[in-house]
Amino acid sequence: MKKLKSMLKVDFRRMFTTPLFYIVTGICFVVPILILVMTTMMDGSVSVNPQTGKETVIEAFDSAWQIIGTVSEDTTESETASAMEVDMLAMCNINLLYFGISVLVCLFTSADFRSGYAKNLFTVRAKKTDYVISKTVVCSICGMIAVLSFFTGTLLGGVIAGLPFEMVGFNAGNLMMCLLAKMLLIWVFVPIYLLMSVIAKQKAWLSILLSLMVGMFLFMMIPMLSPLNATAINVLLCIVGGIVIGTGFGAISNQVLKKTSLV
Amino acid sequence: MNAIEIKGLTKNFKEKQALCGLDMTVPVGAIYGFIGENGSGKSTTEKIICGLIHKSSGTVKLFSKDHTDPEIRSQMSALIEAPGCFPNMSVWNNMMLQAANLDISNAEQEVVKVLKLVRMEGAAGNKYKNCSLGMKQRVGIAMALLGNPKLLVLDEPINGLDADGMRIMREVLTDISKTGATVVISSHILGELEKIATHYGIIKGGKMLKEMTAAELEADCRTYTALQAKDMSRAKAILSCKYSHVEEDESGYIRVYDTVTPEEIVCYLYENGIIITEIGKAKIGLEEYYIDLMKGGK
Repeated sequence: MKKLKSMLKVDFRRMFTTPLFYIVTGICFVVPILILVMTTMMDGSVSVNPQTGKETVIEAFDSAWQIIGTVSEDTTESETASAMEVDMLAMCNINLLYFGISVLVCLFTSADFRSGYAKNLFTVRAKKTDYVISKTVVCSICGMIAVLSFFTGTLLGGVIAGLPFEMVGFNAGNLMMCLLAKMLLIWVFVPIYLLMSVIAKQKAWLSILLSLMVGMFLFMMIPMLSPLNATAINVLLCIVGGIVIGTGFGAISNQVLKKTSLV
Repeated sequence: MNAIEIKGLTKNFKEKQALCGLDMTVPVGAIYGFIGENGSGKSTTEKIICGLIHKSSGTVKLFSKDHTDPEIRSQMSALIEAPGCFPNMSVWNNMMLQAANLDISNAEQEVVKVLKLVRMEGAAGNKYKNCSLGMKQRVGIAMALLGNPKLLVLDEPINGLDADGMRIMREVLTDISKTGATVVISSHILGELEKIATHYGIIKGGKMLKEMTAAELEADCRTYTALQAKDMSRAKAILSCKYSHVEEDESGYIRVYDTVTPEEIVCYLYENGIIITEIGKAKIGLEEYYIDLMKGGK
């Protein structure tokens, strides 16, 4: 436990002194502002596909909250027609952040192997579990900070763009639950990204590629598990998912580190 | 007790067998010079000792316990290939990270102490990536010295060091050894190794060719009389008639390995009308001994 604590201290110190963390958090803050402001500016403008001649009208967000998530409703026949539209909204929002986090986890972990720091570490520390737990905790907490950063950017972007903050079909409590669920979902994704990183070791590009590929499969579950009208059930599901996936993938990462060469 | 005891160690990399039944014994408190050609398996052995790669078979024991034992591992330190430092961090921060990993309570004092030892205290604020090759190597050595390890494994630590750096390195390692710590050091700079090593292990093709103490090496390294004469071929022929082991080396000197003083040789050749231009006593060093051994000599 003492060793884990010291490793956590080292990893937190490293994370908070690396420019990468501030770049990712900064991007998470700026992206919602840019999306909200630009889509509002371009609202109603028509773009024509030169090949097909088909016109597309760019529509702005109706509410600032749309960039955080969508309201999940029971599917009716009338809604089936607009299902594609809803999916697009579900994808072009905070959920993209989960891909950004993969870059953070992969670059942070691969730096250990590229620099030779892992070599120093594993020479004096035989327990790989501490490493996996420490990396998971630090990266997940940074991911949660990134979610909060995105939320702050949304508030600012909404104000700048003059978008309403109306809550239709959900309330402030649901919004809090939604944010909490999204932050807890980070704990589902980070162990997966970490596993890809320990497999690829110093090859950051490979770990990012693997993480994006695997993350793609889980991407669609984010809007389902954390809609704007989320309740305690959603939060609970995310906690259970975090524990199950965190433990499972953490154990696999541990085995990968134990069975493979570390240099 | 032995600090390192390796028996029948093998390591296979896909098609290549890097180590084939290596045996190695390093006594506690020794400075063990680990010598071998490039690709002979030195680094592979050291990486296995440090738990960085897995062995295919064999046993590796550190202080009579398995080398994966966390308790033992926390008492060792290593510098394998390049020092493991983050390039964008300062030397100081890199050192502090390692100190934190080692749970050193008085980390700052300890870091200052080891940086002073390797004369790097003035460059502690420099970014690691801006350090010269020699400075980086010194940082790596300082990092390996943190926490007073009982076992220190150093892979080519002298590479890139200037004359002063080598001298410091010698002093530091000798001092560490005096505290009872064991040092395994692999290097191609045999002249430097010869000045500090108490034990040697010579590896070839993944097998231990010979292990010996410095005293045994001393006994094995024969003294000889080297000379140059105006008529070298005649001098050699005349000397060969009287002495049993006479040969000409690559640098053009005649070597007489028999127990004989230079004065005796001078008199003998003078009597035979040979004029000597240069003569003196010399001794086979570690480097020559090693080359001879690699060629299959005794």
